[in-house]
Amino acid sequence: MIYDCVIIGGGLAGLTCGIRCAEEGLRTVVISGGMNSLHFSSGSIDLAGFTENGSVVKKPFEHIKNNAAKKKDHPYTKVGIPAIRKSLDYFKEKVSDEGITLNHNSDFNHFHVTAIGAVKPTYLSQESVFSSRGKDIIKSGAKIAILNFKGFRDYYPEQTAANLKEHPLFKNSELMLGDISLPYYLHTEKNLHEFRSTDIARIFETERYLPRIADEIKRAAGDADAVSLPAFIGINNYREIRGKLEAMTGKFIYEIPTLPPSILGLRIDHAVKNSFFKHGGEYIAGKKIESSVIKKGIVESIITGSRGTSSEIKAKYYVLASGSFFSGGLQSGVSSISEPVFDLKVKGDSKRSKWYSWNFFDKKSHPFLSYGVETDSSFNPSTQDGKTVKNLFCAGSVLAGYNPVKEGCGGGVAISTGYKCAERIIREIKK
Amino acid sequence: MIKLENISFDHCIKCTVCTIYCPVAQATHLFPGPKQSGPDAERLRIKNPELVDASLKYCTNCKRCEIACPSDVKIAEIIQNAKWKYVKVHWFRPRDFFMSRTDLVGGLATIFSGLTNFIINLKVMKVLMHLFLNIPYSRKFPAYQRGTFTGLYKKKFMQSQKVYEKRAVFYHGCFVNYNNHSLGEDLIKVMNALGYGVDLVDEKCCGVPLIANGYIEKAKKNAQYNIDSLGKTGDAVIVSTSSSCSFALMHEYPSFLELDNSSYIDRLDYITKFIYDEFTAGNIPQMKAVGIRAAYHSPCHLERMGGVIYTLGVLKMVPGLDLVVLNSECCGIAGTYGFKKENYEISQGVGQNLFRLIEKAEPEFVVTDCETCTMQIEMNTKYKVLHPVTLIAMALEEKNKGKK
Repeated sequence: MIYDCVIIGGGLAGLTCGIRCAEEGLRTVVISGGMNSLHFSSGSIDLAGFTENGSVVKKPFEHIKNNAAKKKDHPYTKVGIPAIRKSLDYFKEKVSDEGITLNHNSDFNHFHVTAIGAVKPTYLSQESVFSSRGKDIIKSGAKIAILNFKGFRDYYPEQTAANLKEHPLFKNSELMLGDISLPYYLHTEKNLHEFRSTDIARIFETERYLPRIADEIKRAAGDADAVSLPAFIGINNYREIRGKLEAMTGKFIYEIPTLPPSILGLRIDHAVKNSFFKHGGEYIAGKKIESSVIKKGIVESIITGSRGTSSEIKAKYYVLASGSFFSGGLQSGVSSISEPVFDLKVKGDSKRSKWYSWNFFDKKSHPFLSYGVETDSSFNPSTQDGKTVKNLFCAGSVLAGYNPVKEGCGGGVAISTGYKCAERIIREIKK
Repeated sequence: MIKLENISFDHCIKCTVCTIYCPVAQATHLFPGPKQSGPDAERLRIKNPELVDASLKYCTNCKRCEIACPSDVKIAEIIQNAKWKYVKVHWFRPRDFFMSRTDLVGGLATIFSGLTNFIINLKVMKVLMHLFLNIPYSRKFPAYQRGTFTGLYKKKFMQSQKVYEKRAVFYHGCFVNYNNHSLGEDLIKVMNALGYGVDLVDEKCCGVPLIANGYIEKAKKNAQYNIDSLGKTGDAVIVSTSSSCSFALMHEYPSFLELDNSSYIDRLDYITKFIYDEFTAGNIPQMKAVGIRAAYHSPCHLERMGGVIYTLGVLKMVPGLDLVVLNSECCGIAGTYGFKKENYEISQGVGQNLFRLIEKAEPEFVVTDCETCTMQIEMNTKYKVLHPVTLIAMALEEKNKGKK
């Protein structure tokens, strides 16, 4: 098969790159091995959350300009601030076309609440997590009801409340706890204990029980102005559902992500995939790349599948957006780190004991998180012999030079590098 | 003893992504989902087979869980294995016996096809089947054709195929042989236009319905028969028009049935991949515009094989075809699954999303690669379903005799 652009990896970086390429009319295919990590994410996009010593970043662009952009190897340096801005605007526009609004707090970070009630800085969030109205409500010290479905095991509001009370942002707020239950569940074949967030999200999506759920919320939340629910109020039509629930209850509805699968992340995944398909992108799911052919610094083809069932895929340009260790984009041996598809030059310590910190929650995070493929300033990697591969670009967490957890910048790097690679390919092809 | 190659369940990190994409778990809460039935329960089953629970039977083996899994766990295979390894099934199961012997039943039915089709659609027969065989009353059956495709081939085509130098073996499968001769004829027309003469060899049912109904030993016998037969075809290419047969011949034989199919594996392709490769190599026969608006449904097993892009690639090259690609949804029938009373409601429930998408697309025809998807879609929507090969055959100019 001959394409203009083959993208290996169907996550945030790969799909952002794919949408941009397909939109320009390039014949683009995304090859993904299993679902991406948006399914386990908060659904918010972090741009730059923490400084070197672990304190919260207030203005992410300013921080990038003063810090990250001074490090030669940092992906943000290679993208450049104007392109980072452009890529985020582009991403926002594309997911908004698919019905997901992403809000930001002008040039400032805002906070989102995690499943255990930790408060984390981020840059872009869905409107149920950040909006100017929500900001005002929290500022005014309003009463907030933290609710859960009775029996749902993947979320514990008590923990959320206990952690929120410790945070200065909520020092003026009155927090209350409550459970909502539904008569419907008495008639189901299954105990609510066994329900996952997706099971409940699908019940919400039917909209059949909304009036009853609204009544329950009003009962459990009493006179609270705002209500937080575990995030499962619909996947594809959550905006309508949230709007209806707010109208029926007269309360502000906030969402907190649950244990995986994360509905907030799932919405982003669906939106970017739909956008990619709409622009004419092709998608191969559940396939691994077994090998590749590189000759004289040019990728000639990649091969998927094993003997007899393999197919050779050719393209003018290739993008490696295969993720980090968890996604299989990087591999670790006993005392080696490698990139399995093209065997590219990788940056990382070969001494195993240097990979991690003994303290799991170390503020400095674990060194292995910053390991990855070394690239030049245009995101071209090189093979083991040091030769640059000219028609291959790398994007997202397969890249070296940054630590997504420590810096709180995973989403921003994925989107901006994916976008930048697409721009480069488009420019090359249109030459 | 744990066999070392079967510990892919150990790679499961409990992310539950498979359960999001399981069509059965979406349709009923009775199925706890692939994660729980597969890798989770496998640990318990290995420890103590008494811990096997009854929910295994809800799995349709559509393999969407395996496509979704980020950790490469063979979830459907684990469930499929456990289903027949641990669950004690009664030896006397007349319905499952006949349902899984597609070639035996087909062979008999095609002798008296008129009578079979008449009887099978009688209301009284349907009531009897519903009551005594647990085959749902409202389920429509595919009509049987008079005689077999192999018979037709010998009479009508064998002679004309000799003029072609390049040879292709056609694994026709049961559906073409007993229910849909015209698809076989279309295939011959297309292969001829590409310059290939079509041969048939002795074959048995690929074994998919046997595996689904727990007749593993019988499936192995059939598989070995097919391997021997296809292995003796020299260097001819082998094509199949059924996505599920292809999947079995390529993947299920070596992995699930643990048989060596290396004698033909390099030469076998699902038909659209073969046609795509020919087209891209420049071997494109003359085609006229078909002037059809069609909606394409991608069958689960073709998705698992990664074959959907080839079907789409070929369809995009058919002139005058206005194609709507439907979102990937399972149709729910899953081979013999939807023909069983205990599964009927779930099977119909699974398909609802797809039926809605089809109605919304307002096509003239639906196009899909799989025979049982075809039955399910034709029963539940008002549209006729075409195979991609049929569409290409429609586009071929009559005078086009191809390159010999």
